[in-house]
Order: sequence, then structure tokens, then C-alpha cells
Amino acid sequence: MEFSPEQLDALKEFTNIGAAHAATTLSQMLQCNIGMSVPEVNIVDVAQVGTILGEEITTMVLFQLLGDIPEGGFLVLHFSDGAAIRTANIMCGMSGTDRPLGEMDQSALLEVGNIMISSFLGATSDLLGIMMLPSPPFLAIDIAHAIIESLIAQRGLDVDDVIVLQVRLASDDSTISGNILIFLDEPTLRRISQILESLLSPPPIP
Amino acid sequence: MPGPDEPTVIVGIGEFYAGRNPMSSIGLGSCIGLVIYDKDKPLGALAHIMLPDSQGRSERPAKYADTAVKFLVKELNMLGCRSSSLAAKICGGASMFQAFSGNLNIGERNVEAIRFHLKELNIPIIAEDVGGIVGRTIVYNPAENGKVSIKTADGTKKII
Repeated sequence: MEFSPEQLDALKEFTNIGAAHAATTLSQMLQCNIGMSVPEVNIVDVAQVGTILGEEITTMVLFQLLGDIPEGGFLVLHFSDGAAIRTANIMCGMSGTDRPLGEMDQSALLEVGNIMISSFLGATSDLLGIMMLPSPPFLAIDIAHAIIESLIAQRGLDVDDVIVLQVRLASDDSTISGNILIFLDEPTLRRISQILESLLSPPPIP
Repeated sequence: MPGPDEPTVIVGIGEFYAGRNPMSSIGLGSCIGLVIYDKDKPLGALAHIMLPDSQGRSERPAKYADTAVKFLVKELNMLGCRSSSLAAKICGGASMFQAFSGNLNIGERNVEAIRFHLKELNIPIIAEDVGGIVGRTIVYNPAENGKVSIKTADGTKKII
């Protein structure tokens, strides 16, 4: 699977715009400043998926991409160690981090994920002029690799390379941090980069 | 014979290893860790299988149930194992996201395909730990007679 530098830039820009909106909504919900990294686009051999995320037990909120690109891929909000419970605490007005995620915590995380990813897709839909919507959220607490691997296999597509768009989010004091990971199939990625390229390129001289 | 310090080979999606070293697949979700081992020798193989059917593709044979079974047997034959002393253990095939549309039940289909292809080659399944909704990490050490240790996300550990 090969993409030109221009196409990769377009995909980074897509991630950048979406993640900026998602980070802003998270800032508002948690009432603290959330910063984000420069987006990365990585093309990983399927055998090396473990290098994205490995054996650690993680909390993730998963979404299927719906709308004009049905079943085009998945969006994942990944909480770093301890960030899930701290986020749930802020949302529910609770304290103490030494407990498993209860029903209230889980529902708070689903809602945080839902608002963030809806905001991501809202902003990028406006930009691209196509409608992209998230499926209802699904919370997974499991071995990171097992979740990611199952998402890839779930597509039922026989791919040797996986493209992952990734951006890291962190609060100023680093107590809340995580990643937005986006797994889209190749036709969807090409379509997004194509629309963006034509938006970014100067109009032809008449 | 490998000592306890022999490095563990990590087998990623669609990969395999055959030999004497300990081998491991980290975070099996709907994928399957197929162990085929020699009942008489400290030799065995592990494939990290992702999909049930290769649909005729020949590259990455360890990625598909149909090609992986035959391929592991061939690799073990080349290392000097007789097909009649081989036995199998299957781990994985969880169904993690029943909620999503287009759920293809890949985990379950992987398990069925592997059972079918093992039967075709008359390789008995000695034990399995399949299905469920949680991921697994498995370690197999040929020096320990086909013992496979399994660790799940909820902290359960078991040996099959």
C-alpha cells in the first residue's frame, strides 16, 4: 500500500483538524487544558501490529465509521494507564483511583468518547463535504493487541499492511493522556486524501 | 535441548515459528494461536492465524487456517517429526465486539476451520481454550511436552 507524500500530508491534516476539535471538547468536559501531538500516519505490516500497542491492559472506546462511508473503518479512543479512571472521576465527581471501573465509570467514559469522536467526525465531515458519523460507542478493557487485532480481522479484509492515523493527547500535568487511533480501509483513505488534495491545491488558472 | 535462557520467539499476526525455542503470541483476540507439537520430542510450532480461508493465496501461509495447518505439519516434518506423533492445541478465537454491524464472527469461523483442517490430516486436538469475549496471551515451550500457558486480561492464568 503506497501513498504519495502529498496524500500522507492530507491524511495528517485530516487527523489534525479532527483531533483539535476532539481535544477542545475534552478540555471543556474536564475543565483543564488538553494538548495534542503532531499527527502521525504509520503504515505497519500486519505482523508488527504489536509495535502500535502491545500486551498492556488498556481501556478503549471503539467506534465504527458510518454515514457516507459505511463500514470504512474504526476510530479508537485509547486511555493511557490510569487516565481512564481519572477521567471517570472528573466526570462523576468521584475520587480514588484504586478501584476497577464500575458501571458509572464505564458509562462516563463511553460518553466522553462519544462526544470527542462525534466532534472529530463533525469537523472533518464539514471540511470534506461528506457525512461521517460514529456508531454507538463500545467500551473494551482488554489486552491492547487483542483489541486492535480483532478490529483488523473484523473487517474480514485480507490486508498485509495496516494504516494507522495516530495523535496523542495529554493534559498539562500529564494525569490524563491517551491516543486517538484511526484505522481506515484503503479505499476510504484514498478518498479522503483525494478530496483534501483537491481542496488544498490552488484553483486552475482560467 | 534449549536451556531456560533460550529467547522466546514472538509470533505476530500471520507469522509462525517451528523449532525448540519457547514461543509466544501476545494478545490473541479473534485470531488463533495454533500449537502443533511432537508427542515424543521437544519440538513444536506455533502459528498466529488471522482468517479462516486463504482463498488461494500462497504468501503468508501462517495467516490462514487452511494453509497454516498444512504448513506447520510440513515444517515439523522437515525438522524430523513424524506426522503420526503430532498433536494440536488451539487457543483464541474470542468474539470481542458483538455490538458492531457486519460482525463476521471471525473468531468462531477460525476455530471451526482449524478443527476441520486438523481432522483432515488426522492430527488430534488434545486441548483447546477458545471463544469467550476476552483476549489471551499464550506461551508454549517445546521443552515442557506440549504445555501451553494462557493469560487473559482479567488476570486468569491457566495451563492446557
